Amino acid sequence: MKDFAYVAAPDVATAVRAAADAPGARFLAGGTNLVDLMRQHVERPDTVVDISRLPLTSVEETKSGGLRIGALMRNSDLAAHPLVRTRYPMLTQALLAGASAQLRNMATVGGNLLQRTRCPYFYDRATPCHKREPGTGCAAVGGFNRSHAILGTSASCVATHPSDMCVALAALDAVVEVEDVRGTRRIPLADLHRLPGDTPHLETTLAPDELITSVELPAPAAAPSRYRKVRDRASFAFALVSVAAALEVTDGTVAAVRLALGGVAPKPWRAVEAERVLTGAPATEESFRAAADAELAPAVTLDGNEFKVELARRTIVATLRDLAREGSRA
Amino acid sequence: MSRATTESLTATGGGRVGDSPQRPDGNLKVRGEFAYSSDLWHEDMLWGATLRSPHPHARIRGLDVGPALAVPGVYAVLTHSDVPGENLYGLEHPDQPVLAGDVVRYQGEPVAIVAADHPETARRAAARVRVDYEVLEPVTDAETALRADAPVLHPTNPDGNLVRHVRIRHGDPAPAADVVVSGEYTVGMQDQAFLGPESGLAVPAEDGGVDLYVATQWLHADQRQVARALGLPAERVRLHLAGVGGAFGAREDLSMQVHACMLALRTGKPVKIVYGREESFFGHVHRHPAVLRYEHGATRDGDLVYVRAEMILDGGAYASTTAAVTGNAATLGAGPYRVPNVHVDCYGVYTNNPPCGAMRGFGAVQACFAYESQMDKLAAALGMSEVDVRVRNAVEQGSVMPTGQVVDSAAPVAELLALVRDRPMPPAPSAPYDLRELPGGVSNTTHGEGVVRGVGYGVGVKNVGFSEGFDDYSTARVRLEVVGGEPVASVHTAAAEVGQGLVTLKAQIARTELGVERVVILPPDTSVGSAGSSSASRQSYVTGGAVRAACEEVRAAVLARAGAGAGLAGGKVVSAGGDVLADLVEVLGGEPVERTVEWRHRPTEALDPSTGKGFAHVQYAFAAHRAVVDVDVELGLVRVVELACAQDVGRAMNPDAVLGQIQGGSAQGLGLAVMEEIQVVDGVVRNPSFTDYLIPTVLDMPTMPIDVLEYADPHAPYGLRGVGEPPTLSSTPAIVAAIRAATGRALTRAPVRPEHIVG
Ligand SMILES: Cc1cc2nc3c(=O)[nH]c(=O)nc-3n(C[C@H](O)[C@H](O)[C@H](O)COP(=O)(O)OP(=O)(O)OC[C@H]3O[C@@H](n4cnc5c(N)ncnc54)[C@H](O)[C@@H]3O)c2cc1C
Ligand code: SF4
Repeated sequence: MKDFAYVAAPDVATAVRAAADAPGARFLAGGTNLVDLMRQHVERPDTVVDISRLPLTSVEETKSGGLRIGALMRNSDLAAHPLVRTRYPMLTQALLAGASAQLRNMATVGGNLLQRTRCPYFYDRATPCHKREPGTGCAAVGGFNRSHAILGTSASCVATHPSDMCVALAALDAVVEVEDVRGTRRIPLADLHRLPGDTPHLETTLAPDELITSVELPAPAAAPSRYRKVRDRASFAFALVSVAAALEVTDGTVAAVRLALGGVAPKPWRAVEAERVLTGAPATEESFRAAADAELAPAVTLDGNEFKVELARRTIVATLRDLAREGSRA
Repeated sequence: MSRATTESLTATGGGRVGDSPQRPDGNLKVRGEFAYSSDLWHEDMLWGATLRSPHPHARIRGLDVGPALAVPGVYAVLTHSDVPGENLYGLEHPDQPVLAGDVVRYQGEPVAIVAADHPETARRAAARVRVDYEVLEPVTDAETALRADAPVLHPTNPDGNLVRHVRIRHGDPAPAADVVVSGEYTVGMQDQAFLGPESGLAVPAEDGGVDLYVATQWLHADQRQVARALGLPAERVRLHLAGVGGAFGAREDLSMQVHACMLALRTGKPVKIVYGREESFFGHVHRHPAVLRYEHGATRDGDLVYVRAEMILDGGAYASTTAAVTGNAATLGAGPYRVPNVHVDCYGVYTNNPPCGAMRGFGAVQACFAYESQMDKLAAALGMSEVDVRVRNAVEQGSVMPTGQVVDSAAPVAELLALVRDRPMPPAPSAPYDLRELPGGVSNTTHGEGVVRGVGYGVGVKNVGFSEGFDDYSTARVRLEVVGGEPVASVHTAAAEVGQGLVTLKAQIARTELGVERVVILPPDTSVGSAGSSSASRQSYVTGGAVRAACEEVRAAVLARAGAGAGLAGGKVVSAGGDVLADLVEVLGGEPVERTVEWRHRPTEALDPSTGKGFAHVQYAFAAHRAVVDVDVELGLVRVVELACAQDVGRAMNPDAVLGQIQGGSAQGLGLAVMEEIQVVDGVVRNPSFTDYLIPTVLDMPTMPIDVLEYADPHAPYGLRGVGEPPTLSSTPAIVAAIRAATGRALTRAPVRPEHIVG
């Protein structure tokens, strides 16, 4: 690890000031991702601003009937929060499907949103990687790419965004609130992460010194929802494919649907195309398949990840089928 | 001085052979208080770090240690030219440099070492060593490596990239059969995944030698290699066993041993080296990945007529134990079956992949996956049940193996299969479902729908102990004396406790043979003779045999001194009828009785190089599994519901330890069946972490009903049969067979992943 200056921020003002004063600074929240990256010399900040003690750890109800979640809230606390468990079960499920109990006890909402990809080449400084070092190439395209993305990729980068929580947040239309020395602003989650294009090193629309202070969820829908994750072992593994979905069926027809995918794209992937195909369609297996096909039609695969297309299709269909069944029981 | 060497463990918990006394290290380990080698500490010690090659194959054109030496806090930076003795080591065949000279042959090969006053300083300094590499094309495919036009990785090897070719020629060279099945199988590179990384502490001594505290499997093999590399006589290189956090074969080869000693001798200070987790993946050998091509022929009734096999084991950059692994795969390649005609060619090969060597099962694992997959195919072709075709051909005592060796003790293969077959089936999942019991576990995938059950069987044969004429022995020093008015036995061997429970077992044997309660187990070190390796399922047999033999000599001496009696029991000299004749305390008085015995099992023979004939193995051991799996066939997820095992252990010396070994071995087999694989692309490891190299967690492990049989082997001490490895063999093919049964997929590769079921 490289030497760095350390600033412990007692409040938001100090944190954003410190970040503004030290270009290239990094916020340290739970540290479960940042510290690993610093040890591997992938992240080499000169200044680390420790935000882990900021008083941004509560869940409040908003006037519009939604929730505002503090950015420093631990993943385990958020998953266990009664309002989240009862009103946004999909989010609790997604959080609990991530990492391990120990990691969830450290990981924060803000850190989870901004966690970096698990592409093995991103971590290996001996290999070319546009994301780590723009202009060097992408070792994953011709290398070990079983875990890589099939949607939204570019010739420059095929890495996935690995978060589970974010997939649920994408389906829930969350809004991220950020602050810097200039003030505050709100960013819909869909606009927070960028697609790689020619600039895979630019992963979000945040300025480097912007601090995420909270995440706001709109009022919950009544529709049954679910987070389903497919991975290589029963727990403690990143998603090969995951689906966050909420489905409202009226008289056998899809009245409303929210669908987002994980493990298949460089950002939490809202399945807009599938939602379009489904809305107003009969809530049948055929519609679910057609929706999945429509979403996955533009998929681009590599040597190692071809299976993800079929796996994603099946996971989407199975999740919607589950929800349709659950909805009809209710 | 140093904390955390293995302390003398006074095993007062009682327990004789056949009991399951509590392990002295058990509570400490559960509480996190056990001192592992990574906890070693010495006042004023330095920390070592290793610079490794990022390339799997490169020529070193130049090395500049100047920038590293300039880092404040650095005491020494050493390269190949600083190796005081011979820059070459290896367990069977020294071909591996202590520090790379002009060429590196695998990613992660050590190039330079640094000692500094802080581990981070040492790592940073190591990164500043300038190495000028001329990158060479790596040879990464074992079959390509054998081609005449492949670059030769070890120019001094007369056979090019071939480490060893073992031929088995048994019976008719051109047999004909009614029913023939064939297949090609692949086994991925498995890691031992021990939790305690490579670590140790070297302390320079006044005599110019060094004391090395280290977690290892075989102190004397390390000592021999370290002394040679240091250019010191063996007696000035003293090794002491430090707390071992798992081994499974990965500690048979040297890792940091010579490096720490070189740095300690150069700086005159104690030097500790601890690998990080990622580094550990480069610090030890792995299980050989293998390609296995088989053809089985049988009569219409299901009697095996022949087995033909070609196996290619990728040994990676250095020989390590590849030759012996190749020998095992070949000699055990037809499995625990009576086959009149066998033709096996097994090749161990050099490549630029990570070096492969010992891992639990040692060549027999790869072969077992292939021949058991073949037996299922044969059963299907014959329209027989998988168990029937196995039972019909099962070896038994008196059977002849393809090497011509007669199985000369119990071989209850048919009985083991029947035991697992006849167990009641676990109930099918039913509502309300517990997600933890379903494929996908708590990931919220299936809630019972789309789940198909499959059942599969596997049985395997493993050799116990070192084979093919190796002089396999152990040494035990046993002392009986009066301490505090009580008779106390102390047992000293160099045998490594790697978690298997040998400390407990040695005390059980001493209690049984000497009739005393108090036994002190002295820490293993090289001040007593070699015990051989804690591998090949051999320590209970060989070190157990040595401890018993030493106890017998001590007992004979005591009885001679007493002038009467037939045995020792309850601290007394007793007659054959059990009458007390004298008190042991009085007989011993102030004069201890001590004996050191070197004990060997009956000799084995080398294999005939053209036919593979010979009495190669001192003992065979067998285990069988039945795996029951539930598969979410829609998403390709597998839940192993139950993994039943039956194993003959000859004599359950410590029944709890036996169960522990069977569970652990079965678990490692499960890992290979469904998730464990080191991903090597172009010679580079792509998942050197426990985030990316997945091993089973508690949620992946099923219940494991176990039957233990005890058919004594008359040639072995107490009749025991080695336990540790056999369950690792048959677990993998049983699970994969069960997945095949559930999915109808051919599944010729281990591990099986979701894409093999969905794709
Ligand atoms: C072994 C392992 C397994 C894992 N498995 C999973 C899994 O299955 N699913 C899953 O979703 N995740 C998984 N993770 C990732 C884990 O969820 C993330 O590491 C964690 O959420 C990051 O949160 P943190 O608070 O520790 O972030 P940190 O490591 O502290 O920070 C991460 C990044 O976010 C930035 N940051 C943090 N907070 C803020 C803020 N408030 N404002 C602006 N920037 C901020 C930091 O500067 C840094 O760049 C795993 C991690 C590990 C190590
Ligand atoms: S996929 Fe992206 S992160 Fe991975 S190597 Fe390519 S550019 Fe780097």
